[in-house]
Parts: sequence; structure tokens; C-alpha cells
Amino acid sequence: MGLNELSISKAARGLRKKEFSVRELVSDCLQEIREKDDNLHSFLEVFADTEDEAKRSDEMLQANPRQPILFGIPLALKDNILLEGKRCTAGSKILENYTAAYDATVVKNLKRQGALFLGKTNLDEFALGSSTENSAFGPTRNPHDPERVPGGTSGGSAAAVAANLALGALGSDTGGSIRQPAAFCGVVGFKPTYGRVSRHGLIATASSLDQIGTLAKTVEDAEIIFAAISGKDEFDATSTDPGKSDFLEKSDFRNVRLGVPKEYFGKGLDPRVEKIIQSAIASFKKAGAKIKEITLPHSDYALAVYYLINPSEVSANLARFDGIRYGKSEEGKTLLETYTRTRAQGFGAEVKRRILLGTYALSAGYYDAYYLKAQKVRRLIREDFAHAFKEVDVIIGPTAPTPAFRLGEKSDDPLEMYLADIYTVALNLAGLPGISLPAGSVEENAKLLPVGLQLIGSWFEDEKLLAIAKEVEKIIA
Amino acid sequence: MGKINKEVDHIAGLARLALGEEEKKKLGTELSAILSFVEKLKEVNTDKTLPLTGGTDLENEMREDKQLDKDLEGKQKNIMEQVPERKGGWVKVKAIFE
Repeated sequence: MGLNELSISKAARGLRKKEFSVRELVSDCLQEIREKDDNLHSFLEVFADTEDEAKRSDEMLQANPRQPILFGIPLALKDNILLEGKRCTAGSKILENYTAAYDATVVKNLKRQGALFLGKTNLDEFALGSSTENSAFGPTRNPHDPERVPGGTSGGSAAAVAANLALGALGSDTGGSIRQPAAFCGVVGFKPTYGRVSRHGLIATASSLDQIGTLAKTVEDAEIIFAAISGKDEFDATSTDPGKSDFLEKSDFRNVRLGVPKEYFGKGLDPRVEKIIQSAIASFKKAGAKIKEITLPHSDYALAVYYLINPSEVSANLARFDGIRYGKSEEGKTLLETYTRTRAQGFGAEVKRRILLGTYALSAGYYDAYYLKAQKVRRLIREDFAHAFKEVDVIIGPTAPTPAFRLGEKSDDPLEMYLADIYTVALNLAGLPGISLPAGSVEENAKLLPVGLQLIGSWFEDEKLLAIAKEVEKIIA
Repeated sequence: MGKINKEVDHIAGLARLALGEEEKKKLGTELSAILSFVEKLKEVNTDKTLPLTGGTDLENEMREDKQLDKDLEGKQKNIMEQVPERKGGWVKVKAIFE
């Protein structure tokens, strides 16, 4: 077995037992990337200097074996997270040659832990999409079936972890962009409570929805990375540390109350996915958890709310790409022409769609009917969850309504594509933490397509959610 | 539904996007479809509901107005190197007023 197939916790133990070196670990990952990634295209850039960094890590580990658990662990970064001195494209032509001038806070934190970065992974342009097909640099393929999408927008990160190219990865989640690709690729994907992880150095998509999170092979690994990257940051005024929370000391699954929303099992859910999720729920019941049917009455409106709020915030956040301070700049006779031509040439179709939709929803005469209305229904959606969490510890359901679809299958119809997010967007609207775990697979054309189970936790109960997820992982493994 | 088609020009202007004719037609159709989809929000009674204003309940997060970044070595050069049109430490822009 190549060292690249190890989990982070196993690799950390192996390094300390001197079973192998950081250099060998990194080398195995790079070798796998060389063999697989021409086909998968999960990386937009693989760094040339990681092996040298690994040599230095080995020297440091030799001199002082007491290093943090992430020391020497090779990770991948979604290409909307800034790593100083390296290109950061956000999957867009408009930033094709942009070099990051500073490190994102999460990157600073990981560097402090001694983690290593293998490269930047592919994403839908500006994290807008559900399949990584909107990348200006070509799609990523699903390691389980190369004719299918890996999901999006953190498709590159999810595929890299699933294909054992990296031991873990960072992604970002605005409407499901970590959880859905995790489900499609059969890995763990965790989105923290809004505010647990700093957004400083994350190229902004929708500022009230974005969170950086982790793609990993196990819940334990996802937790290890989360512990390293979370924390209140002076550079992000929306970041905060949780107050005291009571969470499972000893994970006693018999006391866990699991809520199953009746709205999540209706029209649109692939019956094969439903079967797997119901089977998982039956296992949890057998293991002693209390299963309770709950209702989230405004679930049906979550997509509509999301596809008004996201474009509105996107239209504001992407206004900065105007060819003046960074990025692509198209020649124009006037300043206005510089703006309009730069943006027309630099942005892809979905980006333009969202900007126009958002501009419309925020414009005079329409603001109340669209944006304001959406923010009101958003509050109702949040209240649905608050109500539910009075009765249950964690809410469970499918992460996505179907397994991975084929490349090109939904890319002609934007609305079709948006439906992939039906179970994930509500969490971002409410600011809740969520995790997707592999729950089984569906066979299609002799390929096994992963299916994800989503667990939703209450605000700032990330640690409790992860503890319960670890129990769940044992049961459905 | 045809409302937005006429308005695409206006919105594209606001969004500082130069669109071709074919593009405008296609986008007009797509946006009409999406707007029809979001119309369902009209079904929800929000008479007594205040809008949420962001992702967090935090308010007035203040800090002292002093430099936090300790390591600024070479950062200005990094930033200036990204500027498409520049002269020394200045960003060049076309005339704002005619």
C-alpha cells in the first residue's frame, strides 16, 4: 500500500514511529498524482517545492519529535484560498495569473502546525456551481467513474482525497460545496458553524454563507484539520469562538436523539439513495439512538431563498474584479469600457448569470420583492431549525438527491443544476454545521457510485456533531 | 416573463458587463426561468417577520484601530506586482471625468 493511502492519524503515528519519512509520504502522494491526475484533473497546480519542504520537515522532526499531529502531512487547498506567493485563480480566467499577496488565516494556522501543501485544487468558477464543470480550466472527474462529475464546487479537493492524492484537503461551502462533492466522491466533508473558521484569505463568494471546511478520509481526520483551522480571527469580524457547550463526553450513542425531517424524503429523492439512508437510520435505531420524525416546514423554499441571496451577495463581492488592481485587464477606450470588457472576457456564463440575477434582485424597485423577501423567509428557515433542535441533537438525511450525475448531463439547464443542492443550502442559510459521510453506494454501469448521509448539528455544537459523526461512521462503515 | 429581457441591458450596465446580442437573449431566457422559480416565495407569509441581515448574530464587532499584521515585509511589492497598469507605487486608471 502506498503511503498516500493512509489517513492523517495513521500517517502521524507512522511518522513518529519512524516507519517512514515525511519525504516518502509526500513522494508517494506526488507519484499517485503523476499517475492519476492527468485523467482526473483534481489539481490546477501541483507545487514543485513540496519535496524540498518535506526534507526540511524530516530534519525538524528528527531534531524534535514532539510536533503537532498535522506536522508533515500533505494536504490540498481549494484554489479560492490564498497561499502567499502561489497562484490563486478561483477557477476563473479573470484571475488566471493572479499571485496571492498573503496567506489566508487557515493557511497560516496550518503552516504553524507544520502541514505541507501539495497544490491547489479545481473548483467551479468563484465557487458557483454544483459539479466543478464551471471551472474555466476544465472539469474534474469523479474517481469512482471518470464519466461523472465529482460534485462541486470543491470537486477538486473531494476527488483528490477520494483518489488518495492528498491525505486531506480544505474546501469552501456556500450552499453545499464541501458536503455534496464529499457525497459524490465517497469521502467525509465537514462544514463548520458560520463563524468557527476565519474567512480571511478566502476569495469571497457570498459573505453571509461562505465557510471554509475540511474534506478527509475519516471523521477523525476532518476533526484534526478543523481543530487546526478554527478560532476567532481579528481579520474576520464574523469569526467567533463558541461559548461553553455541553457535548457528548463519552460518545454514548444510546442517548442521541436523531431527527429525520419528513420533508427530506419526498419528490426528487432517488429511491436508491432513499433506501441507503433509511437502512442507515434503521442501523442507528438498532444501535440504540432515538429516532424522531421532525418537520422543517419551510424546507421547500430553501432553494429559492438561496438562489436570491447567493447571487445578490455575489454581485457585490465580484464587483472588485474590474481590471484595475489585479487580475485580467482588457483594453478599453474609457474607464467604463475597461470594466465592462474585462468582466465580459474574464467571467464565465454561470458567474455572469449570478451577477445579473443579483444585480436585478438588489436594484431599485425590486429589492423589497426579492432580496428582502428572501432574507425574511431565511429567518423562518432558521427558526424551523431552532425549533427542531429543542427536540433532537442532530438532524439526518441524504446529502444529495442523487448519486454523481454524468459530465454534461445538467450543464445546459441552470435550474436543473441548482436542484442538486436541495438538502444542503438550508444549513448555510441558517449558519449551521453539517457533515457528509459515505453511507453506501449505488451500482450503475458496473460502477459503484457513493451515496452520502448528512448530519446537521446545532449552532456552535461542531464538536458534538463530530463526536456523533464518529459513532455513525463506525455503524455504517 | 419578457420583462427581464428588456431589462437585461439595464442590469448589464449596472453590473458593468458588456454582453453580446446572443448572450443577452440566452441570459434573458435563463434569468426569466430562475425568477419564475423564486416567485414561489410569494406563498410565504412574512408580514410579521424581520429579515435576517447576515450569517451571524454578532453585532458591532469592534477592535482598536491599530496595525495587526506584523509581517509586512515585501507585501507592498507583492500587491503592486499584481496591478495591470502601474507607475512606480501608483495604480494607473483612465480618466474618471471627461
